[in-house]
Amino acid sequence: MSRFFANGSDSESESSEEEVQAPNFNKASAFQFSDDEEEVKRVVRSTKEKRYENLTSIIKTIRNHKKIKDIPNTLSSFEDLTRAYTKALPVISKEENGITPRFYIRCLAELEDFINEIWEDREGRRNLSKNNTKSLGTLRQKVRKYIKDFEEDLSRFREAPDQESEAEDEEAHVSDAGEAADDSYAGFKKEASVTAPKIAKSAPAKSVPADDEDSDDSIDWDSDSESETESSEDENQYQNMRERFLKRSTEKGEDKGDDDKRKDKRKEQKLKIRKRAEDDEDGEWETVVKGHVVEKPKMFEKDAEIDIPLVLAKLVEIMSARGKKRTDRRLQIDLLFELRDISDQHNLGVPVSVKIHFNIISAIFDYNQKISEPMKMEHWALLLEVMQSMMKLLLANADISISESVAEEHEEYITAPFYIRGCPLAAVERLDDEFTKLLKECDPHSNDYVSRLKDEMNVVKTIELVLQYFEQCGNPNERCRIYLRKIEHLYYKFDPEVLKKKRGEVPATTATSVDVMDKLCKFIYAKDDTDRIRTRAILAHIYHHAMHDNWFQARDLVLMSHLQDNIDAADPATRILYNRMMANLGLCAFRQENVKDAHHCLVDLMVTGKPKELLAQGLLPQRQHERSAEQEKIEKQRQMPFHMHINLELLECVYLVSAMLLEIPYIAAHEFDARRRMISKTFYQQLRSSERQSLVGPPESMREHVVAAAKAMRCGNWQACANFIVNKKMNTKVWDLFYESDRVREMLVKFIKEESLRTYLFTYSNVYTSISIPSLAQMYELPVPKVHSIISKMIINEELMASLDDPSETVVMHRSEPSRLQALAMQFVDKVTNLVDVNEKVFDMKQGNFFQRGNMGNRGDRGYNRNQNNQGGNWGGQRRDNRNQRNRNQRGHHKNQQQQQQQQVQTIDEE
Amino acid sequence: MANFDLTRINCQFLDRHLTFPLLEFLCGKEIYNQQELLEYILETVNKTNMIDYTMDTRKRLNLSQEMPDELVQRKAEVLATLKQLQNEVAPIMKATDILKNGESMKDSKTFVNALQKDYNFKVEHLESAYKLAKYLYECGNYQESTSYLYFCLIVMSPNDKNYLNVLWGKLAAEILTLNWNTALEDLTRLRDYIDSANFSTIQALQQRTWLIHWSVLVFFNHPKGRDLIIEMFLYKPLYLNAIQTMCPHIMRYLATAVVINRTRRNALKDLIKVIQQESYTYRDPITEFLECLYVNFDFEGARLKLHECQTVILNDFFIVACLNEFVEDARLMIFETFCRIHQCITISMLADKLNMKPNEAECWIVNLIRNARLNAKIDSKLGHVVMGTQPLSPYQQLVEKIDSLSMRSEHLAGLIERKSKQNNKESIDSWKYY
Repeated sequence: MSRFFANGSDSESESSEEEVQAPNFNKASAFQFSDDEEEVKRVVRSTKEKRYENLTSIIKTIRNHKKIKDIPNTLSSFEDLTRAYTKALPVISKEENGITPRFYIRCLAELEDFINEIWEDREGRRNLSKNNTKSLGTLRQKVRKYIKDFEEDLSRFREAPDQESEAEDEEAHVSDAGEAADDSYAGFKKEASVTAPKIAKSAPAKSVPADDEDSDDSIDWDSDSESETESSEDENQYQNMRERFLKRSTEKGEDKGDDDKRKDKRKEQKLKIRKRAEDDEDGEWETVVKGHVVEKPKMFEKDAEIDIPLVLAKLVEIMSARGKKRTDRRLQIDLLFELRDISDQHNLGVPVSVKIHFNIISAIFDYNQKISEPMKMEHWALLLEVMQSMMKLLLANADISISESVAEEHEEYITAPFYIRGCPLAAVERLDDEFTKLLKECDPHSNDYVSRLKDEMNVVKTIELVLQYFEQCGNPNERCRIYLRKIEHLYYKFDPEVLKKKRGEVPATTATSVDVMDKLCKFIYAKDDTDRIRTRAILAHIYHHAMHDNWFQARDLVLMSHLQDNIDAADPATRILYNRMMANLGLCAFRQENVKDAHHCLVDLMVTGKPKELLAQGLLPQRQHERSAEQEKIEKQRQMPFHMHINLELLECVYLVSAMLLEIPYIAAHEFDARRRMISKTFYQQLRSSERQSLVGPPESMREHVVAAAKAMRCGNWQACANFIVNKKMNTKVWDLFYESDRVREMLVKFIKEESLRTYLFTYSNVYTSISIPSLAQMYELPVPKVHSIISKMIINEELMASLDDPSETVVMHRSEPSRLQALAMQFVDKVTNLVDVNEKVFDMKQGNFFQRGNMGNRGDRGYNRNQNNQGGNWGGQRRDNRNQRNRNQRGHHKNQQQQQQQQVQTIDEE
Repeated sequence: MANFDLTRINCQFLDRHLTFPLLEFLCGKEIYNQQELLEYILETVNKTNMIDYTMDTRKRLNLSQEMPDELVQRKAEVLATLKQLQNEVAPIMKATDILKNGESMKDSKTFVNALQKDYNFKVEHLESAYKLAKYLYECGNYQESTSYLYFCLIVMSPNDKNYLNVLWGKLAAEILTLNWNTALEDLTRLRDYIDSANFSTIQALQQRTWLIHWSVLVFFNHPKGRDLIIEMFLYKPLYLNAIQTMCPHIMRYLATAVVINRTRRNALKDLIKVIQQESYTYRDPITEFLECLYVNFDFEGARLKLHECQTVILNDFFIVACLNEFVEDARLMIFETFCRIHQCITISMLADKLNMKPNEAECWIVNLIRNARLNAKIDSKLGHVVMGTQPLSPYQQLVEKIDSLSMRSEHLAGLIERKSKQNNKESIDSWKYY
């Protein structure tokens, strides 16, 4: 049942192709890789120089390719580079004690950044040519795989002073270059003493060629620093420069002086950059942060009068950087907080505060660029807090109306009915989604999950606040949306109060979750005009009812909503909810003693054998690239968080037990019936797999228990059957998961008794002429009237050929075994009946189309067939063709029939 | 027995005037406090223009014999309005009387044309005729009201805003004048109108619920009603749905109708399905009786329920007339089921299950056997009834199956023959072209 995989990721097919191809590339390169390794065995003198030269030249071409975003060439160059490096590897291990050369690491880091940047930039990526996209994917994977070996070096590189921080792509390029240069300079000083001898040794050999090339580039340093690739070249230059300093600092004095001049300029820029407090910064950075604190008040002019327009202007200024590639998102958040503090200090009023709050929220959302990844914990906490405080502000001040329909220019902050543009609804929806992502991120069995789950309360509280706000002022549509959010946090939670209320243990006026649910859903049913919200509300409503054993209400809702008819057209998330609802409805039906309904509800889920996938509670193990990585990602996004899962073992057990209760008496009743259909395929599979075993041990798993019970039931042994279904092992595994497990167990035993009795009667009725009802009642520990009623039902339904004898309280069997001949005759009649059925069907079918006007129905009688053949000669060409063809068919058909009949006669003869 | 009384619920779906017979019926049953009931009637009557009825009720309540001034005044008012309305309508009625004798009465269109041409008929006249009919109805003068309503129905186009009201009014008036034949006609007309008109779902549901309640009155009083009620409630999905969602208590009347209708035994199966489905929203002794008998085969339970049924029916205005029939048929049902299951029954037990004395029961059975409705013999020595039914022998089964086979083949052959003849003709026809 591909309810929700059917149209899962059609749109992704293109990208998935690319993913599929990736492994092949890898294989190829790996092959070449090893090939080269063999070659490298010969060692030649002066290899080092040669190799390094080779490497740097390739790095240079990579840079050039990167500059023009020529990804395919970058890819091939990268492959060359790896090969060259492998060649150089022995030299490196010999000369540099196995330390990977810095310029190589730098190149890798740059490459990674470059790829990440392009990858992140979805818009840009979509615009890439197909060739480029393809190469990008390959390159990304290769680089990722490759740099795993250099992880340590890379991280050290990134930490080290000559790094170009991870956020390079976000920085203003000029300052970036400056920073890097500066860093390398500072780092040089520090590091010099440590590495000096080593580098000094190796420098002469290599620096000369590198120097030449790079200094060429560096001539137009200042003017041509628009692209960041360029700037990274500059950095490289400085690294080389550092080496040069080591050797002949006086010679390059001019260069250095030049550097110093620039340094002043850069310092200012640097200060700005340093402000974001990187986690992994060392002490050197912190001083800079302090420097920023001094700078902070710069937000406004020292003696500027801070009023609303000014703050708003500042706000706009900050937010205008939003979404730009090089904006520091963390800085933005900090700035906004600061702005909020300032506005609070100056009492600029609630509307401004709300507006700033709102912008903080969107800034926090912006921080995380990848949609699939959850946000950081500290941001999450911050977000919750800001959201709640904003909603409190809104709730406390009814004269503020915040909505999307307010245009920017109509915003009003100064006089009373305030208007602000923004949508708290979208924000809270996003917040909720983020929470789900956070939950899915961590291991459901760890304490981490539990502690994370505690935030659920806060999320619900936030939703509640927004809900209150929209109940005050919001159109029905918005209310529906926020109601649905609340419903989605409510529907899967069990409220014991409901059952207590049903039993009258708590006063009837207590508001239970079912009442709340009713209220919310009814509002949506009445007011919603998008079909999706209503469908989801209905599904959740049914789920909630089913959870609290309101079987009839749940059933009626299902039947009245006609969901089964059009659920296939819904989106995957809704289909998942539908499956969840069905599963729960099945469980509810089972608890409420409606075994047949339970089976009906669950059969669709179970027959596929992958309820786990259908309920979005985990992905099935992948077989031969059934889905691409992209598709897998999408499916992962759909997964339910763990605390909402439905226990699969319980589900399967309930299904199997109800199938057993239906199937076993049915098998017994129709033992010799040729037209017997199986009720449950899954159950049959279990039975068969157990029969295939040569030696059946005592049952261990839940399935084995059910199968063993089914076998016991087949001979009417209810005691054994009940023991297999209800015992300690099964209790802990399955039955204790029900809220009122004792009641369920009682019900189960009752059903087992009844169905065993029926099976017994079906199976053994032919050996009795009469059975006493009281003794049956004793055997099955059922009250006599119950046995009486069961047998009566069987007689009325003509399942059992018997009648009751009232004075002696016995069942008298009438079933006279047919003699052998009679049995065969019956079989024969059955088959002939089939034949006639088929004939009629064929007749009906042909009647509808072409043959309507012709003489067509002559399949029934062979005589007509002959007549027709005679006529056939008189007919016109085309007609004759048709006719002949038909005759052939018919004759063929008749032949078949004859054969069939002959076969049947033969079989009868044999028998 | 107040807990099975449906009057309160039924009255919600009936017209004010239709509730009076129900309430008066209850007065005679002593289920509720007489005083309270009368007070309630008075209150209801006060909302109508039936001054005399009001006075009558006041008398029964032992209030002052004098007519209060307020009432006197109202009476005068009512009479005045009536006069005025009648004057407005008078000319057009006169014209109708004249035309009635002529040819033009046959068709409503020609009638309207004639009216317009010769008597200066206008829409306002129709309006006032409608008002008058309504007023007469409110005064309790149902007979006259029907004649005006009849006029309205003929003249009005179905698109008129009052058309539905006229239909309803006509039905109510016919019911109140006990004109069951015309009531049935009006009922069908109203039903067709509701089914074809463009109501919103919820409105249609409401209209149908009302119609269902009103029709119960008609169906149990019209000789044809017993078939029609099954037809409409059970086999028209729209109405069955309305019953299931809005008024499951109607199941009582449906069940009664099915039980007392011997010719429609096959409806029983469908009915029981519905009863089981709705058992959580509505159950009363009658539905429980059927459930006991046909779902659980609990004869003891059925007996007890049958006993309860009698009191329930006795206190229900709608079905009180069917009490004897119901008991008789219910007994027969129990007995039939019994016979199908048993091969030998003691008469004493049977008598017990049927709520009869053994002698009576024996007599009853003898009658059944004599009328050839039962293939059985009485063993009077042991006091047993022995069923004469024999199970099907395999031979019989075989013959039965083959029988149907030959029937089907024959049918098929016949079809083919017809076709081939047709074809022959065709081929001969086609010869002519050569």
